[in-house]
Amino acid sequence: MDELLYFLQQTINGLTIGSTYALIAIGYTMVYGIIGMINFAHGEIYMIGTYIAFIVITGLAMMGIDNTLFLIVAALLVSMIVASAHGFAVERVAYRPVRGSKRLIALISAIGMSIFLQNYMRLAQGSRDKAIPNLLPGGWEFGGKGFVVNLSYMQVIIFVVTLLSMGALALFISRSRLGRACRACSQDRGMANLLGINTDLVISMTFVIGAALAAVAGLLLGMYYGVVNPYIGFLAGLKAFTAAVLGGIGSIPGAMLGGLILGIAEALTGGYLSSEYKDVVAFGLLILILLFRPWGILGKPEVEKI
Amino acid sequence: MASQLLHAGFSAGLTFVLGASVLGVELRSQGVNTIVAVEGPMTWLWLGVAVVIVFFHQLFRPRIEALRRRTWGGSRFSLPPLLRNHAQRRLMIALVIGALLLFPFLAQRSAIDLATLTLIYVMLGLGLNVVVGLAGLLDLGYVGFYAVGAYTYALLNNYLGFSFWEALPLAGAVTALFGYLLGFPVLRLRGDYLAIVTLGFGEIIRILLNNWTELTGGPNGISRIPKPTLFNLEFSRRAEEGNIPFHEFFGIPYDPSYKVMYLYILALLLTLATVYVIYRLMRMPIGRAWEALREDDIACRSLGLNPTGIKLSAFTIGASFAGFAGAFFAARQGFISPESFTFIESAIVLAIVVLGGMGSQLGVILAAIAMTLLPEIAREFNEYRMLLFGLIMVMMMVWRPQGLLPLKRPQMELKRG
Amino acid sequence: MKNMMRKSLMVLAVGAAVTSLTAQAEITIGLAGPVTGPLAQYGDMQFTGAEMAIERINEQGGVNGEQLKGVKYDDACDPKQAVAVANQIVNDGVQFVVGHLCSSATQPASDIYAEEGILMITAASTSPAITEAGYETVFRTIGLDTMQGPVAGQYIAEQAKPENMAIIHDKQQYGEGIATGVRDTVEEAGIDVVLFEGITAGDKDFSSLISKLKRENVDFVYYGGYHPELGLLLRQSRELGFDAQFMGPEGVGNPDISKIAGEASEGLLVTLPQAFETDPDNADLVKAFEAKNQDPSGPFVMPAYTAVYLMAEGMKETESTDPYEVADYLHENTFDTPIGEVKYDEKGDLEEFNFVVYTWHADGTKTEAE
Repeated sequence: MDELLYFLQQTINGLTIGSTYALIAIGYTMVYGIIGMINFAHGEIYMIGTYIAFIVITGLAMMGIDNTLFLIVAALLVSMIVASAHGFAVERVAYRPVRGSKRLIALISAIGMSIFLQNYMRLAQGSRDKAIPNLLPGGWEFGGKGFVVNLSYMQVIIFVVTLLSMGALALFISRSRLGRACRACSQDRGMANLLGINTDLVISMTFVIGAALAAVAGLLLGMYYGVVNPYIGFLAGLKAFTAAVLGGIGSIPGAMLGGLILGIAEALTGGYLSSEYKDVVAFGLLILILLFRPWGILGKPEVEKI
Repeated sequence: MASQLLHAGFSAGLTFVLGASVLGVELRSQGVNTIVAVEGPMTWLWLGVAVVIVFFHQLFRPRIEALRRRTWGGSRFSLPPLLRNHAQRRLMIALVIGALLLFPFLAQRSAIDLATLTLIYVMLGLGLNVVVGLAGLLDLGYVGFYAVGAYTYALLNNYLGFSFWEALPLAGAVTALFGYLLGFPVLRLRGDYLAIVTLGFGEIIRILLNNWTELTGGPNGISRIPKPTLFNLEFSRRAEEGNIPFHEFFGIPYDPSYKVMYLYILALLLTLATVYVIYRLMRMPIGRAWEALREDDIACRSLGLNPTGIKLSAFTIGASFAGFAGAFFAARQGFISPESFTFIESAIVLAIVVLGGMGSQLGVILAAIAMTLLPEIAREFNEYRMLLFGLIMVMMMVWRPQGLLPLKRPQMELKRG
Repeated sequence: MKNMMRKSLMVLAVGAAVTSLTAQAEITIGLAGPVTGPLAQYGDMQFTGAEMAIERINEQGGVNGEQLKGVKYDDACDPKQAVAVANQIVNDGVQFVVGHLCSSATQPASDIYAEEGILMITAASTSPAITEAGYETVFRTIGLDTMQGPVAGQYIAEQAKPENMAIIHDKQQYGEGIATGVRDTVEEAGIDVVLFEGITAGDKDFSSLISKLKRENVDFVYYGGYHPELGLLLRQSRELGFDAQFMGPEGVGNPDISKIAGEASEGLLVTLPQAFETDPDNADLVKAFEAKNQDPSGPFVMPAYTAVYLMAEGMKETESTDPYEVADYLHENTFDTPIGEVKYDEKGDLEEFNFVVYTWHADGTKTEAE
């Protein structure tokens, strides 16, 4: 019984970690699905979103506002706006000029942007950890006499918000006018242009939406872990990207699935093996999946067009 | 004009949001509390200046660009051909090599040491250039091979007592094997996946070196790795049993800088060998195939080339140069630990290749020199080093993706009309 | 006109003579550590202490009539740059070095110093590996990781007496070294360590580890590493209903841990070097630091001060600036210094360096644990 509860607890931990990866992974998957490039700087946008959320929460708290809901909503709005502005600017400065060139060139530009943003934030905000207190403490407990399973409010919120964001995004892509334009762009940009779609605008909007989602992730994970430093974006981005590739990059449910698989694999490694090998297992899993299904679990094999 | 104004206003507003949110306010620690501090008036003044500049620049952009086109015309910046014929070229190369060989006898010890470090980066840059520049495979885990090379020498020496000269070819071979084993499954993947898988591979190597304490010493690293010898002559004050110190053999007084000079000359010879081997490879069918594959995958396949095999050869050869560089690094350092092999190291080497011009050997060499010397010359600059590396990578890709000194091939172009 | 020319020439000559005289009458001490980079704030502590010592010794007339001069060398805590710095120091003819800061930088540099006969005293590197080679001219004025582990281990065995103890570390030289020391001590005292595991520095999520600790019914956790990870570990333990007693080394004893962990940091046990700035013998020195608006409480300030002080003592007593003679003198004698009584063993380690167990409070203060 205790063993079962322990397994349940580790699964819950894994689902939470996995949701956090998935939430960031959507941004990668969306940009990749539409313009076919890896936005390496996405993890840094998430990091910037966390900083902005922390600044808003701390600033408002200093002014004496202690309504938790108001704090969260204000932080969410501001960080979404600022992160979107960053996403927009990054696309304009580093990606649009190289859009016509080879893949390698766009990729190097993206890596450069990621290194730049990380160090820019380090110089602007310092490299030490900054923290905020826990806004939503507490949770539920259940289980037997031996092992007690804990499920905190934040864990549930993260899971639910990730699901909601996925759903909203899927709906947006399939139903809205802009979503249709996005799909048109991903299929054939030249043709979409000829048919009167402003492809530049569509691509900009893709980055803006991706960045806004990164800001949601930034706020939620910032509240969950309570700390931020300029380096969190790199690791989180790496894991999220791994999740996106695992699930099949370009596929939104794939990002969710990939995130959850990665999260649970990490939690179970930590729970039954050793935390030291969490990252080894994560990357090993990626290499293994890519060997047998290079297009990911839910992705479609790409047909090369000549 | 109205749309221009709107556009300029939007750009200015964007600049303000970007600047104010990150530079204008700062999270600070005050004891156990975190506070938000608003920066002083100077920061806001600069921000205001930036906003105004962006506004007017965007407003008059069409005119500025027209003006620029008129003054500079269509001509793009390119370096004038320095050397016209082969004889001149040979002479120049001989002169440069001669100067480099003479350098340690004229320079100070610290300058020689710095030059040695620079040469290690030249080697790394040249090796990665084969993979990224020639074959067009983005390898973000190059540091993993560097680490394998360094640890191969350190471990062989530590457990089996191998000397540097015995271990050097093995380090190259082991690293090449690693490159082959990793490349074999991975190179069937598309370029973007390759980048992330190699990044993961680099991390796995580092984590394994860190975790396998029994073998590698874990985070404590391996210390007291001996320096290379010259035909069993040691460059230390007192030699190990069986060996004779260099100065006693020649009957000259002991001078610690002999060791530094010897290391430099070794590094120079290794680098020259690297340059030569890659230069020859580039002119062999395999080298042509690398570049052909980079330019057009499908065309290559239709001509009967095996893309996986060709990519694998580039990956393996590139890795083996990292192995040589790693073994030499371990010898120069005398102490290695996993923290010398982080992703930043990969990023620096990639920045060198990108700045130098992908595929161009001379460009990579000059870029490596610039990238290692600059932080030494301007210490304050150290703080901004990574920031500038990132910026350089973006700017080079946007403005001059072929690099500062792009590879030039004799070529003919059909002019139309 | 001619006269004037001659006069000015003479002034120039005298000036040159004076400068060359002062140049001769100076002993340079290299201060090697991170001036730039993420660890620069710790480098500053070392520089503050060493520079204060140089200033005070010079005020009292210097050493054997010669003035001391400190020259900073920046290694940014990078092993690669540390070797370059060491070569630079050899190049500059400097024979005395206070530094380096990070153990991984000190280690390759110390090989060069030992080879070149340069006297090096590190005020901050705690890794036992540095002195393992038994170099004649390498010393330190700070305790070893292997000294801190047993202090913590003894406290655990004698005071805390846990039933199920776990030891976690961050897989880094410092953290793993201390954790191993603690494990060896408590196992000798008959305490069973149910879990000895590493985490990844920089990681944010420790939920699976905490669940594991909970399953093992752990009631005492020793953490070897730095404050960012332990802060998160404490915070998430509170959240997941895991309430064991935590303990950590000096690397966690930083107000930042209370910032991260909040209330959860109340009652944390920390081993720290004795707070030298509270020692009444040092009151005079503390005042001197405060007069210059400097903080004497950083962990490396007093050790760096002591390092310079020891070098000066050695030079005065041996009346020479030969590093080997000074090193011999340091090996053979006992000194009364701001960090207490200093006596060296044959490896250049302090025979005794006091660590005290403190209880940490959520407001960032500490009190001595009973």
